[in-house]
Amino acid sequence: MMDSTPILDIRDFSLVFDTFDGAYHAIDKVDLSLAAGEAVALVGETGCGKSVLTRAAFGLVPSPPARITSGSVRLDGRELLGLSDRELRGVRGKDVAMIFQDPMTYLNPVFRIGTQLTDAIRAQSGGKVKRAEARDIALGMLEKVHLPNPERQFKAYPHELSGGMRQRILIAMALAAKPKLLIADEPTTALDVTIQAQILDLMAELVEDMGLTMIMISHDLGVVAQVCSRVAVMYAGKIVEDAPIGQIFDAPAHPYTKGLLDALPHPFKRVERLASIPGTLPDLLNPPKGCRFAQRCASAHAACDAPVGLRRVAPQHTVACTLFEDTPMKDPVHEH
Amino acid sequence: MTRLILKRLGMMVVMLLGLAIITFSIANIAPGDPARLAAGPDATPEMVEQIRETRGFDKPLPVRFALYVGQLVRGDLGTSVYTGRSVSDDIAQFLPATMELVFFAITIAIVFGIPLGTLAALWQNRFPDHGIRLIAVSGAALPMFWLGLMLQWYLALELGWFPLGGRLGVFDDVPPQITGMITIDALLNGDPRTALTALWYMVLPAAALSLPALAAIIRVNRAEMLEVLGRDYVINAKAQGIGPLRITAIYAQKNAILPSLAMIGLRFGWMLGGTVLVEGVFDFPGIGLYAAKAAVSSDFEPIMAVTLILGAAFMFTNLLIDLAYAVLDPRVRNQV
Repeated sequence: MMDSTPILDIRDFSLVFDTFDGAYHAIDKVDLSLAAGEAVALVGETGCGKSVLTRAAFGLVPSPPARITSGSVRLDGRELLGLSDRELRGVRGKDVAMIFQDPMTYLNPVFRIGTQLTDAIRAQSGGKVKRAEARDIALGMLEKVHLPNPERQFKAYPHELSGGMRQRILIAMALAAKPKLLIADEPTTALDVTIQAQILDLMAELVEDMGLTMIMISHDLGVVAQVCSRVAVMYAGKIVEDAPIGQIFDAPAHPYTKGLLDALPHPFKRVERLASIPGTLPDLLNPPKGCRFAQRCASAHAACDAPVGLRRVAPQHTVACTLFEDTPMKDPVHEH
Repeated sequence: MTRLILKRLGMMVVMLLGLAIITFSIANIAPGDPARLAAGPDATPEMVEQIRETRGFDKPLPVRFALYVGQLVRGDLGTSVYTGRSVSDDIAQFLPATMELVFFAITIAIVFGIPLGTLAALWQNRFPDHGIRLIAVSGAALPMFWLGLMLQWYLALELGWFPLGGRLGVFDDVPPQITGMITIDALLNGDPRTALTALWYMVLPAAALSLPALAAIIRVNRAEMLEVLGRDYVINAKAQGIGPLRITAIYAQKNAILPSLAMIGLRFGWMLGGTVLVEGVFDFPGIGLYAAKAAVSSDFEPIMAVTLILGAAFMFTNLLIDLAYAVLDPRVRNQV
């Protein structure tokens, strides 16, 4: 946070999908900024645009149908929007690495683990790393992610390994080039609970060891609490709250964030049913002009029909809700 | 792997026996007195009776079938009334020509079909895709013999680019028979010019024969490529910064080609059957033309033999296809 340039700085980012029924406003004027070494969680329900945001920013969403309509994405000060495919390819893998939800489907079933790892490592280096060298790096990485018997797994095919092992391999692949930014897109959702805990431990360890800057996408606040220090809550293509993790749990501001927390099971409270948020996502072909959550919100009132931006309620805590007044404060993250 | 091959070869014997039952039944249920047919039109009743006895036509059907199978096991396929020679000699002469033609045709179908299918998928719903799909639809719709006639009329007769028919010109040296395939025999004989000429003679019949298979391979590869290019492991490869050529031609293609392989095996069988039509159009002295002439003169032993031989060739090709499957897909390899 001492560093004045954030590693990732997304400003005013909007994206639509062109469909037969018109433009689907999937992401609307999103701001998200990460300082070096920060681990930020991006949470929200399925379909809120978390994955699209982080993939589109690095050219991984096919266009058409996707179209970026406004904004800027700066990685370590370098603008990414408007780069050619070739230039973006140089950024992906090398500067920005991604790990994904389902380790079962993100490895190619007909190539050996070793081939896929060395290919990725060579691509990340822009072809500068020789095959033998890439093999050494890959084996080193497999040890780093605590994969037993790296030499043997190197010759294995994906279907011969368990989900947890495959996720370790994907993590090794992503981190081999020591990227500036890691995007972990629900890395534990598809794993069973004990493996989930192991992978989360591993990620926490790697974030610490390698000084990684990371966005972790999740719909599970319990998972992100173990790894991240800050949380950005996304709803229907907008960021509605952005705060340190402690504040999200102790003093959530946005009614949607409160709803998410109420939906978490509590170990010491017996309840008949977990709370849920009534209603569904708004129609993003014709999104509401004002707050996108208003139609599901118990506290909605007349002012919610007007557009609402992020308001500062505490030094590092912003919320897009009319219930709060903007209090200008110095914030080291958003200061340039 | 060896066990798989042995098992499949064993199954082939059983299937061939089944095929023999079918062809034998058809030949014997067909109207007409086999003894009279075998004796020829000018035979006296005594001669017919003598043939009935020596050839066993007076015995009950099951006994005759057993005799027939015994004959097959000894490699005796009977005698052709039409050529007056033993069927095995005829087949040894005509089968290599057909195999040469069919191999050439299937090679055309694969060499053009796989890349065209891939290109159509890459340019889905754009101009190249429409053009390629036109080929695919025509290939499925146009009858082989009609296409053969059109090619012959326009490219051979009108433009004179290709010979009208046959295997070689009158003035070409026929290489000494080794495999019976002229291109290979000529190359073995150190005569590449004759090999090229023979290839030249096969272009039109092979084109007519290959178009339906080409169309099928395009359709299957296009559909499969579209599917595979959207798979998670392709997204992961892109996220690693791997280039589009490598992703398409290697990462995606090795997955997408598997259903095309099955299609190739199937189409190979159809092509063998198609030679009956195409060899007739191009007066190509292969087994198809031989079978057609035998059928016209109710010469049953050659028909039965050709059916068995083509059936065996079809089964053997599909065994090779299954082995190719196992080589390309490690998941199949582990099941066997």
